[in-house]
Amino acid sequence: MSLVRRLTDGVPPRALWALGFLLAGLLVAPAVLGKYGLSILILILYFAYVGQAWNIMMGFAGQLSLGHALYAGLGGYVAAGLFFHYGIGPWAGVFAAVAAAAAAGAIVGYLGFRFSLAGVYFALLTIAFSEFTRLAFDHWPWAGGSGGLFLKVDATVDVWNLRGGPLLFYYLILALAVGAFILCRALLESRLGRYWLAIREDAEAAQAVGVPVLRSKMIAVVISAALTALAGVWNAFYYNNLFPETAFAMGRSIEITLAPIIGGLGTLFGPVVGAVVLTGLGEVFTDASEYFQIPGMKQIFYGLALLVIVMYRPAGVWPWLAERLGFGERRP
Amino acid sequence: MKERPRLTRRGLGQAAAAGAALIGAPLPLRHAFAQSGPANLKVALLLPTSGIQALIGQACRRGADVANDVMADMKLPVRLEIVNYDTESKPDVARTQAEKAIDAGAHVLAGAFDSGQTIAIAQVAEQRGVPLIVNIAAAPQITEQGYKFVVRNFPTAPMLITGALALHKEIFKVSGTTPKTAVLMSVNDTFGTAMINGIKALFPRLDMPYELVDTISYDPAAKDLAVEVAKAKATKAEMLMPVSRLNDAKLLVQEMVKQRWEPMAVMNPGAPGLYEQDFLKSMGKYGDFMISNVPWLDPKSAMTQALEKRHLAKYPNDQLDLNGGFTFEAMLIAAQAWMTAKSTKPGDLMEALRKTKIDQHVMIGGPIQFDAKGQNVNIKASAVENLKRKPTVVMPLESAAAPLVFPMPGWNDKRRT
Repeated sequence: MSLVRRLTDGVPPRALWALGFLLAGLLVAPAVLGKYGLSILILILYFAYVGQAWNIMMGFAGQLSLGHALYAGLGGYVAAGLFFHYGIGPWAGVFAAVAAAAAAGAIVGYLGFRFSLAGVYFALLTIAFSEFTRLAFDHWPWAGGSGGLFLKVDATVDVWNLRGGPLLFYYLILALAVGAFILCRALLESRLGRYWLAIREDAEAAQAVGVPVLRSKMIAVVISAALTALAGVWNAFYYNNLFPETAFAMGRSIEITLAPIIGGLGTLFGPVVGAVVLTGLGEVFTDASEYFQIPGMKQIFYGLALLVIVMYRPAGVWPWLAERLGFGERRP
Repeated sequence: MKERPRLTRRGLGQAAAAGAALIGAPLPLRHAFAQSGPANLKVALLLPTSGIQALIGQACRRGADVANDVMADMKLPVRLEIVNYDTESKPDVARTQAEKAIDAGAHVLAGAFDSGQTIAIAQVAEQRGVPLIVNIAAAPQITEQGYKFVVRNFPTAPMLITGALALHKEIFKVSGTTPKTAVLMSVNDTFGTAMINGIKALFPRLDMPYELVDTISYDPAAKDLAVEVAKAKATKAEMLMPVSRLNDAKLLVQEMVKQRWEPMAVMNPGAPGLYEQDFLKSMGKYGDFMISNVPWLDPKSAMTQALEKRHLAKYPNDQLDLNGGFTFEAMLIAAQAWMTAKSTKPGDLMEALRKTKIDQHVMIGGPIQFDAKGQNVNIKASAVENLKRKPTVVMPLESAAAPLVFPMPGWNDKRRT
């Protein structure tokens, strides 16, 4: 069976059409939206992408990571550092960035899975790694220490060095989001994907029937870390500055988890829908709090809205929406 | 058999409407916002008024809130349309807010207290060709990037430290008392670590009259500093130099009183904490006679007096400090540029900003002027001593509102009332 046939197998035609329209819409969106609208769309795609990467670990393989900022931060710092100190462009630096994050993921994963740390204990391990990496970067002069690492901003468009305006970064994050979506679909349809689902549902039963649990979990954490590192590289070159306190922050790790949780854990479209809902809600409440001139109002209503969504759609927004639209994506 | 849910035209329409409402809901509000008010100079003030830096962001904003009234009091023929945007203490939000502000018609951007957020905004300002006036942000890189649309009216981190340490010498000279040793106590967060590194780098070059006997770091979230204070006391240092935030500054002084450690001085090398309202309220008499070496409002300036009066009237429970002062000055700079340019075109405004020379302003230092990089190099550090629960300028002498009290009286000294 061809790859395309395999990827689209079992997907209703209307869902494929909708996906095609969505992609076409995203391709022409910059021509329609203003700069502000584009910056919002960039945020949506960024959160959809990192949510997809995190979803591999938690949604597919059932391993809770609350320290994913570690991989994004490492990816960003390695690529930005290589560019800043040695002039190595991000297209080359990204390999080192991904390798560093994948190695970090492998260490975290091995320590956690080899010693049977599961659930909150594994989550604590991921937080710990993220935190001590932050402290290490705070004192590492090569990375600019706590004072931060700043990339030279250039007004000219230079695709090779990722220097340019929002449009360049929009199409880049769109490509990443689409690529991650296709990769996740392919992974889910593979033997490895089936192993992950089996481990997620019952690791001991999976092991009993011959699923290589340790190896499968390790692959999940390494792929997830590598994909997150790509987002880190994108982020570093888009914002042009990195501070350990924000790059490895717990808050950043939480942000990464929100879109798939709200959208639907373990689903392909969950992170995308979650990112749309969260960023959309965020903007609505930001505008409302500016209109009423009440600082902090956004956070209160944003929190309440999340609470309502989690209470009434505990499986996420996407499974409910898919059923209404007849797209019928099941939580695998 | 369960009927398979179908996509109907009505269903699709409802879903599309719901999606559009969610994404597009900010638009009507934004446009309503953009179209309100007269065709004045529209200044978008981007500050972290929520999130982890909310308190400081709000203090900054108060300075801008009274700016139009103060400028009217000073007979400046100008009135700004100031629109507030919350960066939520996050660089990504700062960037989208800057885009939103420009789309809503902002002629000038101002902000954003934090270096990371300021750089995110600076990039938008450069790409869109809209001037950015930095009120507070100390990272030197902001004015080292070759930005054409950014000016900064705040000292860089090295300027802060150099100015503060130079003031130490002045204080010793005026008081006739020089400590021989000092201990540095610092939070180990981004700010604290950068300050320690900066002090260590600059210290040998500045020929300071005292020896740094130890550097003690602690976590900003520490609940108890008993061990750290005991360690500092054991060094027998004659002066304590705290690089603190608010809460740890309180813990530090409480512990010093508890352990009866009475050094000759508690004098920071350019850091918050000691001059803050909450510190002064909580510490009472024990907060007095501590010295912060930071940029401060010039009490002798007529404009400062007008600002203090307006601030007190509008915010009687809030102290006016350097955050409000610098943000007010950002508004003053925008107003001056508008008056000079006589236009709201970004190019004209930027040209006027480059030529800015404001002699009468509120912060201590020379005229507000920007060098080729867009940095105001005329800002001077001042020694602000807590006297009768109020941060009071004691140095430089030409701006002093009260005489310096040095060395610091003991905890049970009668001067502490």
